[in-house]
Amino acid sequence: MNSLLEALMYGAFAALFSGTVLPLLYRSKNARKASFGLSFISSVLLLGFAGTILYTGKGVLFPAISFLPGLDFTLGADRLSAGFVLLIAAVVPGVSIYSLEYTEHAKSEAGKDLQAALTNLFILAMLLVVLAGNMVVFLIFWEIMSLSSLLLVLHDYSSEENKKAGFFYFVMTNLSTAFLFLGFISLFRLTGSAELGLGSVEPGALTLPFLCLFTGFGIKAGLVPFHKWLPYAHPAAPSGVSALMSGVMLKVAVYGFLRFLLAVPSPELWWGVLVLTVGSLSALFGVIYALKESDIKRLLAYSSIENIGIIFIGIGLYVIFKAEGLPALALMSLTGACFHAFNHALFKSLLFLCAGSVVHATGTRNIEAFGGLVKSMPVTSALFLIGSVSIAALPPANGFAGELLLYQAFFQASALNDPLLTVLLVIALSGFALAGALAAALFVKLFGITCLALPRSEESRLAKEVPKLMLVGAAVPAAFCILAGLFSKQLLSLAGLDVEYPDLLLLGLLLGLIYAALFLAVRAKDKNGKGEGPARISETWGCGAPTLAPSMEYSSAGFSEPLVMILKSIYRTRIVHTPKYLDGQESLFKNGDVEIRLLRFFEEYLYIPPARAIESISKRVARLQNGKLDSYVLYAFLAVIALILATGVLV
Amino acid sequence: MNTSFISTPIDTSFMNTSFLLFALLNPAFALLAAPLYMALIRKVKAQAQGRKGPGLFQAYYDLRKLMQKEVIYSPVSSGIMRFTPYLNLAALLVCSLFVPLVFVPEPAGGFGNVIVFLYLLALERFFTALCGLDAGSAFGGMGSSRSMSLAAVIEPTMVVAFAALAFVLKSLNLHEMFALTAGSLLPVSPTLVLVSISLFIILIVETGRLPVDNPATHLELTMINEAMVLEQSGKNLALLELSHALKQLLLMGVLINTILPVGLSTEADAGKIAVSALFFLLKAGALSVVIGLFESSLAKMRLFRLPAFYMMAFFFSALTILIEVFA
Repeated sequence: MNSLLEALMYGAFAALFSGTVLPLLYRSKNARKASFGLSFISSVLLLGFAGTILYTGKGVLFPAISFLPGLDFTLGADRLSAGFVLLIAAVVPGVSIYSLEYTEHAKSEAGKDLQAALTNLFILAMLLVVLAGNMVVFLIFWEIMSLSSLLLVLHDYSSEENKKAGFFYFVMTNLSTAFLFLGFISLFRLTGSAELGLGSVEPGALTLPFLCLFTGFGIKAGLVPFHKWLPYAHPAAPSGVSALMSGVMLKVAVYGFLRFLLAVPSPELWWGVLVLTVGSLSALFGVIYALKESDIKRLLAYSSIENIGIIFIGIGLYVIFKAEGLPALALMSLTGACFHAFNHALFKSLLFLCAGSVVHATGTRNIEAFGGLVKSMPVTSALFLIGSVSIAALPPANGFAGELLLYQAFFQASALNDPLLTVLLVIALSGFALAGALAAALFVKLFGITCLALPRSEESRLAKEVPKLMLVGAAVPAAFCILAGLFSKQLLSLAGLDVEYPDLLLLGLLLGLIYAALFLAVRAKDKNGKGEGPARISETWGCGAPTLAPSMEYSSAGFSEPLVMILKSIYRTRIVHTPKYLDGQESLFKNGDVEIRLLRFFEEYLYIPPARAIESISKRVARLQNGKLDSYVLYAFLAVIALILATGVLV
Repeated sequence: MNTSFISTPIDTSFMNTSFLLFALLNPAFALLAAPLYMALIRKVKAQAQGRKGPGLFQAYYDLRKLMQKEVIYSPVSSGIMRFTPYLNLAALLVCSLFVPLVFVPEPAGGFGNVIVFLYLLALERFFTALCGLDAGSAFGGMGSSRSMSLAAVIEPTMVVAFAALAFVLKSLNLHEMFALTAGSLLPVSPTLVLVSISLFIILIVETGRLPVDNPATHLELTMINEAMVLEQSGKNLALLELSHALKQLLLMGVLINTILPVGLSTEADAGKIAVSALFFLLKAGALSVVIGLFESSLAKMRLFRLPAFYMMAFFFSALTILIEVFA
C-alpha cells in the first residue's frame, strides 16, 4: 500500500515540477498547454492518494532526507492532511482546464509562460505545505506559496491598482509569516523538537503559541480584522489563480491552524470562545461588505471572508465542545468545519471561474454593467446558477451540507453545562443564521443582476459565450458541487466520519421526482385539455412606457439598498456637505457638493495608525545612517557587546 | 442535562409502513387543505370589515381558473421563470413530509430535520426572488429586493425560534418533537407558549401578511410577495399560489402542533388518522380566524420599522432559551 501511495505522490510532484519548469524552458504555446495538462494529471494522482488514505484511515510517512544537521526534510500525510490534499485535488482539475484557454488571453508572451509556470509552482507549494512533516519544511513551502501567489497577483504589474494590491498582499503575508515564526519558535522552546506534534505539554504554557499561530494563520485566512488584503489581492490575480487563492490557499491556512489545534490534547475553553467570536464577526462583516460591493471579483473575495468565518465558527465550536467534554458534538463541529472548507473550495472556485468568463466576455468587472447574460452566455449562466445555489446553502447542493452539520451542533448547545456558554452559542447562532441569509440575498442579487433581465450596457449586450475549454473548466467544479451535496452522507461515512446526518441524496431524488411528476401532470393536461399549445410571448409591462429600457430595471445598488439602510450603523457611511455661499455671512446659498462615502473603518482606524507610527520611528532610526564608516563599526561593536550581555543574562 | 441528543440512534431506513403511509397521506392532505385557509382568512377579513367576502371554496375556483389559462412569458425572461413554479411546489411538497399533520410517523430517513425544513423554505424564497428579477420589471426587482432583505432580517429569529423548540423538546427532528407533544391537551412545557408567539410572528412574516406585507394589494408601495409574482400567469401562477398556500399551512401546522397538540395521534390507524385530520382542520380554522382578525386590526408597517417587529419575535425565542438554560 505504501509503495502505491509513494508512487502516486512522487508522480504528482514530478508532474507539478515539470509543469513549472517546462514553460520557462520552452517558451511556446505547446509548453504552456503541457504545463496545465501536467497539473491536471497531478490532480488525478492526488485524488487517488488522498482517497486511499481517507478510506483506509492509515497515514503514510515518506522516507526522510536529511538536509541540515539534526533536521530532516520529512513529508507525510495523515487523515487531516489527506483531507486537504483532496481539497487541492478537487479544485485543480477545473482550474487547469480553464487556464489552458484563459491564460492565452494574457497580454504578453512572457506573461503567459510565467502564469503557467507559477500556477504549477503555487499548487506544488500548497501541496507541500499540507504534507510538511516538520515546522521548517512547513515554513519553507509556506513562503514559496506566498511568493508564487504574490507574483501571480502582480501579473499585470503595469496597472496602478494591481501594484497596490501586490504591495498590500506582500506586507500582510509577511506579517502572517512573522507571527508563524514566533509561534513555531515558542513551540520549539516548549517541546525541543521541530516536529508538528506536541507530545505532552501542559496546556497553560501554550497561550503564547496559540495566540501567535491564531494571528498568523488568521491573517492568511483573511479573518476580520486582518482581512483587508483579500479584496485587493484576489480580484487582481488572473481568474484561475483567484479560484486557487480563494478556494485553496485560504484553506491551507485553516489546515495549519487545525494541525496545531488537533495536536493539543486538551485545548482551553477561552480559545474556543475567541475563535468562535472572531469567526462570527468575520462571517458577518464579510457578507455585509460584500452586499455593498459592485466589483464582481471583489464581491466574491468578501464572500470568501464570510465563508472562512463560517469555517472558524466550526473550529471554535469544536474547541468549546471538546473543552466541555462533549466529544460527539466536537466531532460534528470539526467535521462541519472541514466539510465546509472542502465545499467552499469547490463552489468558490466555480464562482471565480464563472466571474472570469463574464469579465472576459464583457471586459468589465462592474456588476451594474452586466445583465441579460443568460441569453448570450447560457452555459456560463447555468454554471453560475449552480454556484449561487451552492453558496446560498440551498439543499441539496454542497454549500448546505457543511452548514447543516454546524447548525446541528449549534442546536444542541443545551447539552453544555455552563448556561452562559449556551447563551454565547445562541448569540453566535443568530449571527451565523444572519450571515447565511444575507449570503442568500447577496447571491440573488449577484446572479439576478448579472444574468437575468435586459443587458445594462453595450458590452453586456454584445457578450459572446466563452470558448469551450473555459466552459468545461468551470463545469468540473459545478459537477463536483452537485455530487458533493447529494452524496454528502456517503462521502462522510466513506471518510470514516460517522456523524448524525440526514441523507441529502434521498432528499434530492425526491425533489427531482416530484418536480418531474408535477411537470408531466401539468403538461398532460395541456394536450387533452383545450390544446392551447405553447405559451404566448408578450412584453413586460413597463408602466405605460412604449418599451422596457434597461435603465428601468432594478440595479445592484438598488437591490441591496433596504439592507444597507437596515445595517446603516455598520457601514458607517459619512455624508459630507460642502456648501458654498455668495456672501461672507453664509446666508445666501450659491452651490455646493454633497458626498456620501463608505467609511473604510478597518483601514482608517486599524491599519493606517500603526503604519504612520512605523514611518515616524523609521525616520528617527534613519538618522543613525550618517555615511561614516567609523560610526558603523561602533554600531557593530555595541551590538556585539549587547548580544553577549543579553545571552549572559538570559541563559 | 449533560447529554447531547444526537446519540439516540435514528432509524435511517425509510421503509417502515408507518412512514410510507405518512408519506402518501400527509402531502396529499396538506395540498388539498391548503387553499381552504387562504379563502377562510380572506373571508374573516372581509367580515371584520363589514363586507360579505368570498365563499370558502373561492381559492379552489381561482386555482382551477388559472390552471386553464394560457401562460404568458416576457421576451426578456429566461428559464428561471419557467421552472421555478414547479421547483417551488416540489420543494414545499417535500417540506410537507417534515410537518406531521394527519399523524406522527416513526422518524425515518432524516425527514423531519428542522434545519433541512428551514432551508427548503429558503430554496423556495431564493427562486421566487430570482423570478422577480427575471422579467426586467422594476416592480419585480423591488419585490425581490425587499423580500430577500426582510428574509435576511427574520432569519436569525426563525433559526433561534426553532433552536428554542429543539431545546425544549430535546430533538432536532420535527417528527420526534411532535411525537413528544402529540395528544396532550395543553403545551407540554410552559415555555412553548413563548416560542409560539415567535412562531406566530414568523408565520405572519413568511406568508406575507399585514403588518409586514399586504396580500390584497397591487399598489407598488406596499407589495412584496405580490410584486415578485406580478409577471407570472396561468398555470405557473396557479402553482406559485398553491406553494404559497402550502407554506402557510405547514407553518400553521408547526405552530398548532407546538401550542395545541390535542387530537394529534402517533399511530397509523385509520380511525385515529381521521380524528387527527379532523382536529387539525378545526384547529387550523380557528388559527385562520385569529390571523384574519389580527390582520384586520393592524395597519401596514413602514418597511424600515419592520426589524423592530422582528426583534419582538426574537426576544420571545431568546427568552425561552434563557428560561430553559437557567431554570
